[in-house]
Amino acid sequence: MEIKTHFLYPSTLFFSREPHLVNTILGSCVAVCLYDPVNHTGGINHYMLPFWNGEGLASPKYGNIAIERLLDKMLSSGSKKNNLIAKVFGGAEVIDTQVSQFHIGERNIEVAQRTLKELNIRISGQSLGGKNGRKIQFNTETGAVLQKIITRQVADLKK
Amino acid sequence: MITDDQLLNELEKRFRENKDSVLQLKKMTSELKEVNKKLEESEALKTHFISNITNEIINPFAAILGLSRNILDVKKENWDKVISMVHLIHSEAFNLDFQLKNVFAAAKLEAGEWVPDIMNVDVNQLIASTLDSFKFEAAKRRIELYYDFDVSPGIEKSFYFLTDPEKLKIMISNLLSNAIKYSHSESEVHVKAWLENDGLCVSVIDKGIGVSEENKKIIFDRFKRVDNGINSVNRGHGLGLSVNKAIIDLLGGTIEMNSIANQETVFTICIPQDEKSFENDAMASDGNEFLFDGDGDEIF
Repeated sequence: MEIKTHFLYPSTLFFSREPHLVNTILGSCVAVCLYDPVNHTGGINHYMLPFWNGEGLASPKYGNIAIERLLDKMLSSGSKKNNLIAKVFGGAEVIDTQVSQFHIGERNIEVAQRTLKELNIRISGQSLGGKNGRKIQFNTETGAVLQKIITRQVADLKK
Repeated sequence: MITDDQLLNELEKRFRENKDSVLQLKKMTSELKEVNKKLEESEALKTHFISNITNEIINPFAAILGLSRNILDVKKENWDKVISMVHLIHSEAFNLDFQLKNVFAAAKLEAGEWVPDIMNVDVNQLIASTLDSFKFEAAKRRIELYYDFDVSPGIEKSFYFLTDPEKLKIMISNLLSNAIKYSHSESEVHVKAWLENDGLCVSVIDKGIGVSEENKKIIFDRFKRVDNGINSVNRGHGLGLSVNKAIIDLLGGTIEMNSIANQETVFTICIPQDEKSFENDAMASDGNEFLFDGDGDEIF
């Protein structure tokens, strides 16, 4: 049986009990994959900015919200927090982000690391920072993540 | 040994540094206070919203029920009197439908579960039908709607663009609804669509009250309405523009506003043609080897 695929857009998150291959493209954004090795289920988010500051909708565009929502999804599907492991990707400083002098990538990474630590969820794999974007594919059944570094120019990578 | 001069210089330098960091700290504290205030406000508005929405849903329903009951009681020979009541029913139902769509859109966006559903969209037709759905609302206040479609001279009517029709329609509806709401009666609302750098731009222009400088910062925040004053006659929850902003982020576009109080307000949205996700859908069937061919791939 062929496994279903899903393309993960920025500011959204994905969770399904059914096995999926989730593809996404990361620049300064960060994606946190949560995987439950007992239930063989996984979920992933893709956030663009570290914190929601009251502007616009409180959506998973922001790391603090995205991680919390994803964890809620996992827990309400019957996962135990103690079983969960995390993999974290992205947070590059892609070339044209000097416009936003704030090192978005770095701050996005920090939110993931700090929040996961507070939640006591172990980070079992990560590929963070650098100057290049990443294309990743998360297998929600096995928890494996494939990564390809993209050296292409920035137009697509702003997210 | 250091001389007195050096000592004095060093001291001065340290004092300066100290002063700088105190200043910086002050700045950061005030920024934090600002954010804190916003979060508190947002929470308060949310509470307000929940109590408000009960009225906003129940009242229109009561009106629709009452009016339709009246219509049912009308004798056959008086049926020509019914039309004004039908207008009212339509208006109530239209507003209810419009507002509920925004509430659901906001909820789905906040859950992060609303993904673009990309297809080939007949843009001209989509905008025209959106305008058409607002014609009674506009007529109520004697506002004329104009539509100028300028994307493909020569090809005329059917112009296809890869995007998410539902989300595009919600965004244009929100801009139109605001334009009509904040227009003076007996004025005009113009909608323009054109192509720019392979993306689609849509402007909605009204000659209404405009957006003040202080409000420009907050109009995209949720539950914010520019006329929270006591004489506000407008309904709605202030969700529209925050929904638009979130959809625009999702589609990778931009939204801009230019406003001169009591003269003209222009909202412009621009969205790129979404070929990326189209490609990705196409790749999903067989392209995984192409995507991850083992060459330089890493496994985590």
